[in-house]
Amino acid sequence: MNEGATTAAELAPGSRGGGFLESRAGRALARNWSAWFLLLLLVTFSFTGRNFLSIGNFQHVVHLQTLPLLLAAAETLVIVTGGIDLSIGFVAGLASVTAAKLMQLLAAAGLPAGAVIALGAAGALVLSLLPGLVNGLVITRFRVPPFIATLGMWGIANGLALKLSEGFPVAGLPGALPRLGNGYVVYLLPGEFLSFLGPPAGFPEGRIREVWRLVPFSLVFVAAVLAALAFVLRRGRFGRHTYAIGGSVDAALRAGIDVRRHLVWIYVLASGLAGLAGVFNVFQTGIGNYTTFSAMYELFAVAAVVIGGASLSGGKGRVLGSAVGVLVLAFLQNGLAISGVQPFYRYIAVGVLLVIAVVIDKLFPDLR
Amino acid sequence: MEAAGVAGVEPTRARVLSLLAERWLFAFLALETLYFCFAAEGFANPNSLQILLFYGVEIFLLAMAELFVIVTGGIDLSVGYVLGLASIVGTKLIGALAGAGVPPAAALALGAALTLAVGILPGLVNGWLVAYLDVPPFIATFSMLGVCHGVSELIIEGVYAMGLPPLAAELGSGHLLYYAPGAGMSFLARPEVERGTEVWEIVPNVVVLAAVVIAALWFALSRTRFGRHVYAVGGNRDAALRAGIPVRRRLLAVYALSAGLASLAGLAYALKYVSGKADAGAGSLLDSIAAVMIGGASMFGGSGTVGRTVAGCLVIAVLELGLRMRGTPTFDKYVLVGVILVGAVVIERWLPGKGR
Repeated sequence: MNEGATTAAELAPGSRGGGFLESRAGRALARNWSAWFLLLLLVTFSFTGRNFLSIGNFQHVVHLQTLPLLLAAAETLVIVTGGIDLSIGFVAGLASVTAAKLMQLLAAAGLPAGAVIALGAAGALVLSLLPGLVNGLVITRFRVPPFIATLGMWGIANGLALKLSEGFPVAGLPGALPRLGNGYVVYLLPGEFLSFLGPPAGFPEGRIREVWRLVPFSLVFVAAVLAALAFVLRRGRFGRHTYAIGGSVDAALRAGIDVRRHLVWIYVLASGLAGLAGVFNVFQTGIGNYTTFSAMYELFAVAAVVIGGASLSGGKGRVLGSAVGVLVLAFLQNGLAISGVQPFYRYIAVGVLLVIAVVIDKLFPDLR
Repeated sequence: MEAAGVAGVEPTRARVLSLLAERWLFAFLALETLYFCFAAEGFANPNSLQILLFYGVEIFLLAMAELFVIVTGGIDLSVGYVLGLASIVGTKLIGALAGAGVPPAAALALGAALTLAVGILPGLVNGWLVAYLDVPPFIATFSMLGVCHGVSELIIEGVYAMGLPPLAAELGSGHLLYYAPGAGMSFLARPEVERGTEVWEIVPNVVVLAAVVIAALWFALSRTRFGRHVYAVGGNRDAALRAGIPVRRRLLAVYALSAGLASLAGLAYALKYVSGKADAGAGSLLDSIAAVMIGGASMFGGSGTVGRTVAGCLVIAVLELGLRMRGTPTFDKYVLVGVILVGAVVIERWLPGKGR
């Protein structure tokens, strides 16, 4: 933090009264420090890691971060209201297992593969709203603190997912799933062909690695979901109410906002996004995965949201900021691995980054 | 306050309700135990108590760690991975000392002491971040979780820590008292009897360790100035400051104590399983916090007792063992602990005299 402050202070020597921290440049730097840090990471790793700087690697990283990106978006909604949702990681696992089980059942009933996939995914998505509904009702009707209510759901969702899957990943799903989840929009072999959504018919499987595959479906999917959420949160009435509740519940109540109802919707939406993440994971991996304890998806989602500029006391946070937070954590892992550093340093780096984020949050309490 | 007001209107009902508020947890625990005595074959046996205490040692210690932090109004997410780190550091240190020719008993004592000293460090950093830098406990302790996880993996490079002397295993899975009908009894060491002779094993050593520590913590929290300060810090920080309580130093001490207890749990793990593992305590986040909340503490600080937290731990330990003996997979346990956790908090809010 101090390092960044001094270098930028040299860039803007004429900043007046209150010192650098008060200046426009200082505030802009603080507001988007995670984005600048991400850039710094990318530049550094481009020098230290072979093949780090390549479209293939970047696409790969984003593709693997589909689930964390969606979970961080879900967590952002909740944290902006001043709450926390610890259940999203296991709700994602539960949705993944539910989708896979539903698909197995539908396939056994003799439905065509397309219907199996569509109905299974839709069914799991609808069911994934339930944990959020329960969270929201327990928090608003019984006034249980969000930490406790969602920690309870942490256990419940985890137990249900393990019970459904009997402790093993659910396999034997339609083969079209991974093709959908891992496909690309553009396929290009310079001098030979340019095709969309798939290689040209009759192209030999064995040569697929020579083809330039650009814009993974997962990227399009995540970008669309995040853009929609960012729009809703920044432009609409729903978003205004969300920030108002996070700023001050009393003020929101006096302004006539139905706080209880709104909070229920927030937790339902967060749970649904976690469900979406879990279901999309079935498309990516071709199996239903329950969430393991050591994954700590929910805690890393909170970390990404805080690194992205949100405050745990509510009223502050951006969906795209959280996405940057996820990418910081992801490129840290990927870059360290490619540079040949022990990947375990990543865990330590997360801790340091979080503390930096909080200190910046304290220094600039009025940034939004 | 509230209970007194209700008592003026409807004395009997209020008395019943306040009695329920005091005792529902113990009634629940009794009912739960009774249920498993009938539902799980072999559960109604004095040995069950020893088994559930033996397997529950880590949860008991972690819940105690969490209790002190929660009473101050904070939370400690790092306890599970501090446990893992301590299990690794302890195993490596004791193993190295024993390997260097130190007699096993001395290696064990010295290694354990050093592990505890190292294990307090994460807590000191947590406490410093929370008390002096105003970092929210959730963030500070999650950062420490990451650091402990990273350091653990660096030490063991993705495998287990091993190499404890045989004495460690003897202590870890040994008992305080052995009684062989007809052949007399002995302390700490299994008596020399013929194979197949029945030997009663009474009170596992690790349970004795935990019991002594918990008794000391009970005394510290309920009978000392330190304990009063901890409640005061959690109840109303401003008032505590005005009353001249060194709030920051107390917070630092509480987080250090939390990490120390987690390290002790790590040592207990190392002795029990004769190995150290980075994620030895990964699944215990829910259990340790749930035990404290089931015991009636408030998330917002200022309340919670050692006795009721022990009861909260027992609720979870009985559930775990009961379900295992019933043959239902332990998956059910997570669901039930989650439901009981939320249910307990709802009950605590609904009953009189607890309106927090």
